[in-house]
Amino acid sequence: MAIRELKVCLLGDTGVGKSSIVCRFVQDRFDHNISPTIGASFLTKTVPCGNELHKFLIWDTAGQERFHSLAPMYYRGSAAAVIVYDITKLDSFQTLKKWVKELKEHGPEDIVVAIAGNKNDLGDIREVPMKEAKEFAESIAAIFIETSARHAVNIEELFQKISKQIPPLENPEVDSNESFQLSRQPASSSRRCC
Amino acid sequence: MAAEGLPCEFDVVILGTGLVESVVAAACSRVGQRVLHLDRRSYYAANWASFTFNGLLDWIQRRQEPPPQPDELQDWSSLLEEGEELIYLCNADSSSVSNVQVFSFTREEEESVSPPSTTEEEEAAAAAEVEEAEEETTQSTDIKEKESKEETFNEEDDGQAAGVDGEEHEAPPPDNQSRKKVSYSELLDKGRRFNIDLVSKLMFSRGSLIDLLIKSNVSRYAEFKNVSRILTCRHGNVEQVPCSRADVFGSRQLSVVEKRKLMRFLTSVVEETEQQTAYSGRPYLDFLCEQQLGDNLQHFLLHSIAMVTEDTPTEEGLASTRHFLRCLGRYGNTPFLFPVYGLGEIPQCFCRMSAVFGGIYCLRHTVHCLLLDKSNNRCKAVIDSRGQRISCSHFVVEEGYVATERKKVVTPTRSISRAVLITDASVLPAHSDQQVSLVTVPPVAAGAPVVKMVELCSSTMTCIPGTYLVHLTCQSVGSAYEDLSPVVTRMFNTPESHDQETCPSVLWCLYFNMVDGSGVQVQGHDLPPNVYVCSGPDGGLGHEHAVTQAESIFRNILPDEEFCPPAPNPEDIIYDGDSAPSTGEEEKQGEEKGEEEAGQSERGEGTGVEEVGQSESGEE
Repeated sequence: MAIRELKVCLLGDTGVGKSSIVCRFVQDRFDHNISPTIGASFLTKTVPCGNELHKFLIWDTAGQERFHSLAPMYYRGSAAAVIVYDITKLDSFQTLKKWVKELKEHGPEDIVVAIAGNKNDLGDIREVPMKEAKEFAESIAAIFIETSARHAVNIEELFQKISKQIPPLENPEVDSNESFQLSRQPASSSRRCC
Repeated sequence: MAAEGLPCEFDVVILGTGLVESVVAAACSRVGQRVLHLDRRSYYAANWASFTFNGLLDWIQRRQEPPPQPDELQDWSSLLEEGEELIYLCNADSSSVSNVQVFSFTREEEESVSPPSTTEEEEAAAAAEVEEAEEETTQSTDIKEKESKEETFNEEDDGQAAGVDGEEHEAPPPDNQSRKKVSYSELLDKGRRFNIDLVSKLMFSRGSLIDLLIKSNVSRYAEFKNVSRILTCRHGNVEQVPCSRADVFGSRQLSVVEKRKLMRFLTSVVEETEQQTAYSGRPYLDFLCEQQLGDNLQHFLLHSIAMVTEDTPTEEGLASTRHFLRCLGRYGNTPFLFPVYGLGEIPQCFCRMSAVFGGIYCLRHTVHCLLLDKSNNRCKAVIDSRGQRISCSHFVVEEGYVATERKKVVTPTRSISRAVLITDASVLPAHSDQQVSLVTVPPVAAGAPVVKMVELCSSTMTCIPGTYLVHLTCQSVGSAYEDLSPVVTRMFNTPESHDQETCPSVLWCLYFNMVDGSGVQVQGHDLPPNVYVCSGPDGGLGHEHAVTQAESIFRNILPDEEFCPPAPNPEDIIYDGDSAPSTGEEEKQGEEKGEEEAGQSERGEGTGVEEVGQSESGEE
């Protein structure tokens, strides 16, 4: 099966559970205290989708959203964005619009957007009605789902929904000068030409 | 804006997000230093930034506004403690860019395709000469602005408004000509697909920046393209420079004899010979003449391969020739790479690495002054723009924030002349329209500067399909316009050029001068010893100056630590499973260790072609 790499970037206010969602999805675990200094550039998980494998490369904000300082490079080449809010914090829902706008400004034009209302295990202190959030998501043609990273609710589903929305691979145009990544490789420094 | 306050204790506070500062940030965070990285601007990368078209117009506009009142030096002395003294910083951005001039030669959609009228031509010429150019927003929006001229700014607005009127006709008008004309409103509408660099440099495939990107794994945040060809301008024609073995043999312009001579020369030059040492101190040109290569080859070797001038000494010419040859064939047919989305990505990539390792980022936030501990003459803390006192052991600062009277700069200050053009065709059309070209342009007249030109195609994600983004750079002799417009007029079709219908048309262009950062040292200023000054971009083609400077700052701060060791691959991080439980805040930002099903490639993002690096032996 062909593996397709899909970059997914996470957005949303500090503290809504972005990292917890990835952590649950990738490692199926939940930590009350995620340490910020581990130094993972992004996490990956591969899931089957039709006759393809989708390898999600999930980028976290690395805290750069905290003081509104996300760099445009964060969005480059993303196939999808997950905007997370906390159903128990109205503020975090109200800033969704700001994140959508930011994505429109900096994100790729054909990006798949998903809105995740996290912490739905805390329904008793809910501040954001599901209906309202769902309507908002529909208005911007985004995927909508409520999740609980703590109780592993709808996390897999979130990414499945994204998978389904990813347009099929077009035949890439033949470009003799395609872009590529640099990677470490043992031979690189060992000898010179000539 | 963030209401949240910043922590008040760091190891290293860094002000400015240019390349040098960003590399230092990544290097320090990587080895566990607590880093606070600030920039007064609302965007990353300072004078290394790249902008969307609209973003660039804003940037231009800010250059035109009168310099901001030096924020009345707020008196922070109330925050002083016993034995402390204040050192005030200044606003960056104030003086490093000058002589900003903008010309727009796009057409209104409605307009039929006709050659530019003489009036426009005169206007353009006049605008260039006269500082007080009147508003001329007739057909081509013709804008001439000088720093600190407020009115000119409205002019530009008019120009934009005029363009926007035609917005309805987004689809290109039917082609009467072979080339589609792009209108100004289209530039604005699709403006976000431009990434226009303030600096124009390339990355030598074995240069220190590529080595650092690979070594540190920061490279996984970016993708690159090969510069696909090297061109030169000779006798008014643009020609391709054969530089790899394949090029040499495939070349149609070279005779068999020339091919043999060139190959022999390139092979022989790698080893040092007695003949070469005999030319030590004498011009490289003399050495090349001695080889009896002929004009053709001599031109290629001097201007495009060594990229030196006629009076460069032989040993220097040989060294750059060897560097060129060493870099060939690592990734492609030329020694150079260019990052997709522009050079402005690179500082951002290093900033992300710093953030991933705990660095705290805050744009639109600055440091007003340093607190000097008089007992040991060290900077012990800074006071930020909110009046918060933040202690630090080291302070790294972009040159522009250092008050002139405290700075020691090599005089006379050198500067770089820059031009940015949006054109509608390549200077040398080829079978593929997606070429990335370096064009070396020898002086157009005696005393004129050597100009380096980089032409980017739309697949570099720096311009929209149907256009090319052309960067011209040289060491300033006069203003950017004086230095570069002769080259532009000669190689492109503008209202000022004559009989050049076949040349690519310039749709829009910008000229400006930027201070050459190579004159700034890390230390030796009138500042405490634990304050390190980072220079802005230098005029060189590569990034050696910046990387060397960043490494030297890091060595000063942390002499015993490794500089940018590789960050772990996402799949290699072993999850140990017992991070300390504590206060139940569900999430803090940052990234968690990842344990991943094994056996997949270690690459970062992207779908690009895998690494090409093994083709080591191919060339020369």
